[in-house]
Amino acid sequence: MLDLDIDVRENGRVVRPHGRLTMVSARPFRERVTEEIAAASGAPVVVDLSDVAFIDSSGLGALVACLKTARQGGGDLRLAAPSEQVTMVLGLTNLDRVLRPRASVQEALDG
Amino acid sequence: MAEMVTRSLVAAVSLESVEAVYDLLGSWWDELGDVAPRTRFAFETAVVEIAGNIVEHSVAAQGADGRHFTLALQGDARLLRATFQDDAQPAELDLSAVTMADADSEDGRGLALALASVDTLEYRYENGRNIWSLECRRE
Repeated sequence: MLDLDIDVRENGRVVRPHGRLTMVSARPFRERVTEEIAAASGAPVVVDLSDVAFIDSSGLGALVACLKTARQGGGDLRLAAPSEQVTMVLGLTNLDRVLRPRASVQEALDG
Repeated sequence: MAEMVTRSLVAAVSLESVEAVYDLLGSWWDELGDVAPRTRFAFETAVVEIAGNIVEHSVAAQGADGRHFTLALQGDARLLRATFQDDAQPAELDLSAVTMADADSEDGRGLALALASVDTLEYRYENGRNIWSLECRRE
């Protein structure tokens, strides 16, 4: 199962999952990130993907769901530091246009 | 490297088996040696998507209890090939009609992603079995 670190910063929250984001882990990941979006009260939530070596379409679906939840609450969900496989998959699905990954967590927090 | 590197798996149709497929790929890559990262990621992505599709389809169609699928991996210096077989109901799908889901959809990307990732993805129903074949040429 996917482990997750949470880092509460002044200007947002950083969620750092470790492992693979697949149909096995997508649901618990989505639930945890949804909790963080609520706790962030409109501040951005950054998903630091530097330790996610692999994502599948279920993982992508969880990220899209979290993005929608964040925006509906007046906040935002931003991706940072995707691995090569994650970057490839975001491109093939055209989700790089809406999820727009940033190179680093700091860049994502800065918007 | 001239010889064929093979791996195979018989797994219960369950979520956990998707992890087993990923682990099998890991040991296969180790023996295959130097596969270009882009080729490896693309093939891996498609194989995991099809495994996920088999699990989802079986569960939705008639329950997955007691059902199994097989996966055979074959690779050499030119080609990577994966073949899945399962005995669930026919998948009844037309891969030529598959399109990528819209950006705000939360699902419906799996098959389109698999198709976009590999050089060949074919599905057929034969002798009571669903058969999926995936191929990627090595650069």
